[in-house]
Amino acid sequence: MRLSALIRLNVNGEDHALAVPAQRTLLEALRYELGLIGSKQGCDKGDCGACTVLARPRGAAGRGEAILSCITLAHDAQELAITTIEGLAGPQGLDPVQRAFADCGALQCGFCQPGMMLSARALLDQNPKPTLPQIKEALSGNLCRCTGYTKIYEAVQVAAGLRSPAQRAPVRSERAEASDSVAQPVKEFAP
Amino acid sequence: MMTLPDLNVLRPASVAEAVEALRAHPGARVLAGGTDIVPNLKYGMYDTQHLVALRGLSGELRFVRESAGPGDLLLGAMCTVDELARSEVVKARLPALADACGQIAGPQLRRMGTLGGNLCLDTRCVYINQTHFWRNALGYCLKKDGTVCHVVAGGKRCVAAASNDTAPVLLALGASVKTVSPRGSRELPLREFYVSDGVHNTVLAPDELLTEVRVPAAAASRRQAFAKLRTRAAIDFPALNLAVALDLDGKVVRSVSLAVSALAARPALIKGLEDLHGRTADALFANELGRRAHKQCKPLTNIGIDPEWRRELLPVLVRRTVLRAIG
Amino acid sequence: MSIGERFPKSDGVVKADGSGLYADDIAFPRMLHAKILRSPHAHARIRSIDLSAAEAYPGVVATLVGSELPAKYGVIPWTQDETALAVEKVRHVGDAVACVAALDEQAADEALRLIRVDYEVLPSVLTPEDALAHPEIKVNEKAKVGNITKHVHLQFGEVDEAVAGAAAVARETYHYAGSTHVPIEPHCAVARMDADGNLTVWSSTQIPHYVQRELSRVLGLPQSRVRVIQPLLGGAFGGKSDPFALEFCVAKLAIKTGRPVKILYTREEVFYAHRGRHPMKMDVTLALDRDGRIAAVDNRILIDGGAYASFGLVTAYYAGQLLTGPYRFGTYRFDSYRMYTNKPPCGPKRGHGSVQPRFAFEVALDEAAAMLGIDPMEVRRRNFIGEFVETVNGQKITSNGFLKCLELVEEASGWKERHGGKLGRGRGLGVAGSMYISGTAYPVYPNEMPQSGVLVKLDRSGRVAIFSGASDIGQGVNTLLCQIAAEEMHCDPREVTVVAADTDLTPVDLGAYSSRVTYMVGLAAREACQKLAAKLQAAGGATFAEACQRAEAAEGAPLAATGGYRTQKLGGDYRGGTIGASPAYSFTAHVAEVSVDEETGIWKVEKIWAAHDCGKALNPTLVEGQIEGSVYMGAAEAQMEEMVYDEKGLLFGPSLLDYRIPTSLDTPELDSFIVESIDPGGPYGAKEAGEGPLHPAIPAIANAIHDACGIRIRELPFYPHRILKLLRERDARGARGKERAAS
Repeated sequence: MRLSALIRLNVNGEDHALAVPAQRTLLEALRYELGLIGSKQGCDKGDCGACTVLARPRGAAGRGEAILSCITLAHDAQELAITTIEGLAGPQGLDPVQRAFADCGALQCGFCQPGMMLSARALLDQNPKPTLPQIKEALSGNLCRCTGYTKIYEAVQVAAGLRSPAQRAPVRSERAEASDSVAQPVKEFAP
Repeated sequence: MMTLPDLNVLRPASVAEAVEALRAHPGARVLAGGTDIVPNLKYGMYDTQHLVALRGLSGELRFVRESAGPGDLLLGAMCTVDELARSEVVKARLPALADACGQIAGPQLRRMGTLGGNLCLDTRCVYINQTHFWRNALGYCLKKDGTVCHVVAGGKRCVAAASNDTAPVLLALGASVKTVSPRGSRELPLREFYVSDGVHNTVLAPDELLTEVRVPAAAASRRQAFAKLRTRAAIDFPALNLAVALDLDGKVVRSVSLAVSALAARPALIKGLEDLHGRTADALFANELGRRAHKQCKPLTNIGIDPEWRRELLPVLVRRTVLRAIG
Repeated sequence: MSIGERFPKSDGVVKADGSGLYADDIAFPRMLHAKILRSPHAHARIRSIDLSAAEAYPGVVATLVGSELPAKYGVIPWTQDETALAVEKVRHVGDAVACVAALDEQAADEALRLIRVDYEVLPSVLTPEDALAHPEIKVNEKAKVGNITKHVHLQFGEVDEAVAGAAAVARETYHYAGSTHVPIEPHCAVARMDADGNLTVWSSTQIPHYVQRELSRVLGLPQSRVRVIQPLLGGAFGGKSDPFALEFCVAKLAIKTGRPVKILYTREEVFYAHRGRHPMKMDVTLALDRDGRIAAVDNRILIDGGAYASFGLVTAYYAGQLLTGPYRFGTYRFDSYRMYTNKPPCGPKRGHGSVQPRFAFEVALDEAAAMLGIDPMEVRRRNFIGEFVETVNGQKITSNGFLKCLELVEEASGWKERHGGKLGRGRGLGVAGSMYISGTAYPVYPNEMPQSGVLVKLDRSGRVAIFSGASDIGQGVNTLLCQIAAEEMHCDPREVTVVAADTDLTPVDLGAYSSRVTYMVGLAAREACQKLAAKLQAAGGATFAEACQRAEAAEGAPLAATGGYRTQKLGGDYRGGTIGASPAYSFTAHVAEVSVDEETGIWKVEKIWAAHDCGKALNPTLVEGQIEGSVYMGAAEAQMEEMVYDEKGLLFGPSLLDYRIPTSLDTPELDSFIVESIDPGGPYGAKEAGEGPLHPAIPAIANAIHDACGIRIRELPFYPHRILKLLRERDARGARGKERAAS
């Protein structure tokens, strides 16, 4: 049995009492003690942002700033009010950021996205109409390998009301006509 | 996950309690924002099990204020680098510092990391900032558990790189730091704070805490600029960084300071610039500063980016940064 | 919302609200955590392993060594050369040696340190050149000759003659240094054995069916007693299409302990698992006739494979077989060696085996065209191979929208006005094209069964259930299935449940690799849905649910149907002819715009325009996502990705801080265009979109750098220090030229 101490965490508006050793990180406490598996482990040392949660001092207004839970000790999180991805949705359903990410194709594998959505949420809480450079800057600590970030920016703009969901990039989809170039095939065959 | 060892984390409520905790646990390390020490602990880079957490000192040590009298700017060590980057006072009076703070790491890390933590950032090297498994496979080195240096063949002194972004700016601006220990408090110029030893590159005693940075009032009237070279535009530590500060009288240089870092363990203040006082602040002057920096600075393989290229870049970066400072 | 529409992803909500379960989110009561001990040596014989101290460590429940799992495995049946844990030898730094299962991860880690392994260090070979030169240093006993995993030599026509008689010949050597996938989710597997002897393994894998087969063989369990389930998966890109040590270890330990066991790789371990893009040295000769038509291509490729074969057999073929379009040439030769070396094994990474040669080819094409004063766009048009043609190596190209791709990026980038030094010193445009497979005829293990199967069931409520073996790795195949159902049966695509990638429940699908899924699974799903659509049509009804009820009544049994995709006979009639033979090929063209700071060598991709012929965009949002993600990944390889090893075979920087992938601030603006050539064979005309769009990024960037500052960079990554060196050489040549002109 490891030496543990009782701590109290406030996560998504709920108070939890748990006994964890001093070396337990906030990410481990969230995932393995509280069953909040939405925050992910990508690198476990602060390089990728997949573990991003929002934190504010207890009693402060708003949801707080984006921090990395894999390098925060659970004991140190006691004075904070934490919001994880599970806490973004409300009685009306998904948060506009979540809805926009789902609708705009910003979610491919989805693994980096809880962290990404929370960074976006923190940005919009503080700056409701961000410019594209500001969006890129705010998300620069969240690595994504699937999307090339393009649809993520779009989703943030939709969530901010800067772009309408229907205003998608038109499908610049062009039929390829049978080639009329002087093609010199090696060997033709019938389709 | 990379597991942490059993830790004993002490949580003092005041500076006095903090230094007493450090004294009582020789080898204990300081946990401020945790952005450097926690990853390094996961890498098994430190043997201690005792951490002295400074979160309880925010009340005492998180401030930006002016000193009585001379009007120096006093920055508490527990200010996060993000709040310094956004502070209207810092942006107005020390724009190069705000700029440097805004380029540290990535957004989340800036909200967690502190000024004190950045000034006391452990030195870095491609051969040390890895897991215990990796360092064992390579062969331990001077900085931890070994007797050889993988950067300098036959080297006896660790040359792991100073990798903080606030240090060059504060050096160029002539800042000083205040520390507290069981023996009392002292103030010393930042240029005396760093030493050329990659194992421990500051003069801080094991039971001594950095509490405050003082930037002279005159710094606000100096032309100043900061530059950081790194592969990516976020997250990465510097491959090179530098800061310049000038006193100009019209177009004439009254004084100039230039600091360059991410070389070896000690941020370098470029020496012998006094003869440039009285020169015109122009492109020739900027070139000359670059030339001198190139002469005095030798990047090493402690950072995994071609050192010869970095050395070639230095005069270009210096020149461009000086021209930016001049405006 | 059916085919061709932007139907939001069917798993969007569970990914957005954080409730979706990835492998590490799965836990069971009494579950143990296991950790793997790895070799610190590149090549060593294991004299002994002493587990006693580890076994006695508090919290440790069981241990495992290689001799308990001696059966060899490997994704390709002819090159099964791996064991779950080392048996007798370790072959690279990071090779798995022993495993400890404990009550928590910390205890497992601490116990690992107590394992004593007595190694006899052996000489190692770390480059393919050394591996060739030292056959006596045998990396892997599977190699029949020295350290050669595979040697392929194929020739079509009289190459030397054609080259000798050509008007312009570009003959240069290119180097690609090797990169890795970096999925944000590390590998993770959980195993549980029930009291009846049924084993279940949840794993972050692209190939649940192969994992099932290999688990069965290595553990000595009947395949019918092994169940593999792929939960939500956090990125793969080819890095999870081999069976891995952790899967066998959790399974064996679950059997040994009678408790569930989990292994989650650390990020460092993901680097040692690797299976990334092979380093290649390529000597490329590309010859043009007077009119700029390709007269011949000759390619010698030396491939660095690492310590195990993985897909290396295929890599040796792909390196040459996938270059024969979109341009026509009738004379071709390639010679490739894939070598074993004492490093983490390489394997398939998005655009397996063809990204590197495509880089070399497209730069060579530009270079040869420049010798004749032909514009890069024009030379590509002139050599367009056409539709419904056969390539020189016997691959049948069906639909081909490449010309349209070129046209779109030419127009969007303002090529005519802006290319050719017109943007001023330090800024330029470059173009490149490519072709890729939509799956291959080659099913990895020989069998006559369908490569893909889908089962569709209709409920009286109108709910549709689709059982698909396909791996959704984020590309959205599960979403496509909903759309196909809606298209054929006119149900609501939001009322479709997809049960995927569970070997107990779903038909076999071979896996998400070689971009086979849209094409093959799409056709299988369409077949099943069409069968049901016919019955629904015949039954009639005011609503879909009513039609389901009437049809079930008419059937007298539950309404269900299956569909399959049967591999066609494709490819040239020679050994290896099927490898790279695809039922349909996709086509891509990129234009890249770069800026180069000539004082420092620091360069930036400002923008990439990418046009991709995917046949038919079944879901344009998903296709755009694949194009954008692919372009990002290609640009990343050009900018900053490299697996660097020291002289002892130790990987420099196995972390995301040292091995860098671009952040939002490092990613160029991406403009993607979809071209629809409506393939006659693909489902609704669709072809692949997952890998093809990556290929032209690297050469387009290289060609743009040439436009910007007149240098040819032939070595990846395009580090600033390499650019600066080439600029200096250019200036020295220029100075010499002026001297000569003056004298």
